Amino acid sequence: MATTYKRQFYPGTSVPAKNRRRYMDPKVKLKKLRDVSMDDVVRIMGHRNPGEDYKSIHPPIEEGKEPDCPIRKLVEPIEGAKHGDRVRYIQFTDSVYFAPISPYQRAWMYLSRYRGVDTGTLSGRQIIEVRERDLEVMAKEMIDNETFDPALTGIRGATVHGHACRLDEHGLMFDGWQRYVWDDQKKEVVYVKDQVAIPLDRRISVGKPAAMSDLKKRTTIFRADGVDMRDDKEVTMYGLRIHKLRTLGGYQPWTVKGE
Amino acid sequence: MSSSSAPAADYAGVPLPEVQIITNRLLSAETTEVVLNALDKIQNVRQINMTGESLPKTINSGPGKGLPNNHSERRVINVGGHEVELRYLVGGFYIELDVEDEETLDKRVEEIKEACNATIEHGYTLTVGRFSKYKPTLHDYRSE
Repeated sequence: MATTYKRQFYPGTSVPAKNRRRYMDPKVKLKKLRDVSMDDVVRIMGHRNPGEDYKSIHPPIEEGKEPDCPIRKLVEPIEGAKHGDRVRYIQFTDSVYFAPISPYQRAWMYLSRYRGVDTGTLSGRQIIEVRERDLEVMAKEMIDNETFDPALTGIRGATVHGHACRLDEHGLMFDGWQRYVWDDQKKEVVYVKDQVAIPLDRRISVGKPAAMSDLKKRTTIFRADGVDMRDDKEVTMYGLRIHKLRTLGGYQPWTVKGE
Repeated sequence: MSSSSAPAADYAGVPLPEVQIITNRLLSAETTEVVLNALDKIQNVRQINMTGESLPKTINSGPGKGLPNNHSERRVINVGGHEVELRYLVGGFYIELDVEDEETLDKRVEEIKEACNATIEHGYTLTVGRFSKYKPTLHDYRSE
């Protein structure tokens, strides 16, 4: 009898473990918490001016100049690839102070939810590279949905330092380039520079930061002062199992049996 | 706040105690000014050094390299009538106390606590000890 495989995402019963599963599962529709206009998203990314044509690096695929290749016939190209768009990027920095998501889970989420992306993980930031018109759609989704918090997530193309720094007096993650500021009247976070710190010609509000109690329910981060990873037995065992198999696989592969 | 490894002030002839204050949040220039002015009134303070996160004057990498940074917290503050140029978002103070006995030290530490409680909204950690270099070492002679 054939068994059907049900895709699994992440073990554990704790809040961060459940959130990791939710963010990774492409069947889960993430909550939309704000609406930053597409033109403003384009402005913050700074790759082109709103309304400007997309620059291309090759002729549209429909022109049929592609070589005869079985893989090309098999894979449906994403919109940007069809039009020959440039590959552009957006990079997020996530604070260690209970940001809704952290870079490693961003990689899992991106690869699980989107096609045609190239992503790179670093300790405090996560870059995603995609064809330009697809990138804009994804960037808007990621800024609007629950994986973004105005105070604890930064849109930073370069000089991302700040994810492990103490927050400032308004609870904002440190940014030496001050791409976003606190609007004390509206109690909102406002972008005044694009992701590489070139001043914007207008202020772009990304909304109010969430309360810490709310963030602790939304985060994927295990912390000693939140949910300790060691308190989630299944997550701990999963980590230990990978560690054991990797170690043994590296130097005594013959001892790995029955796995 | 100096790039040199040499101590900021001349050697007092004896290793003096220091009060280390690490704030729970990074302080704005305005709060730093208020804290420093509150500490300035305390007697026996020989020097105050600060640490924090660097705020560059210009954008130092990427396509905007060379543009002015215009960070609102990188500015000149006024401490006890003197102008101090802030280049950091301050998150720590090292207060060197010129005291000769434990009793005076305890008294001054209490005064520092009072000043901090009144000015640092989000809390801090205070420790008494010696945290920074108090006299030049061989390295400093070599570097000159």
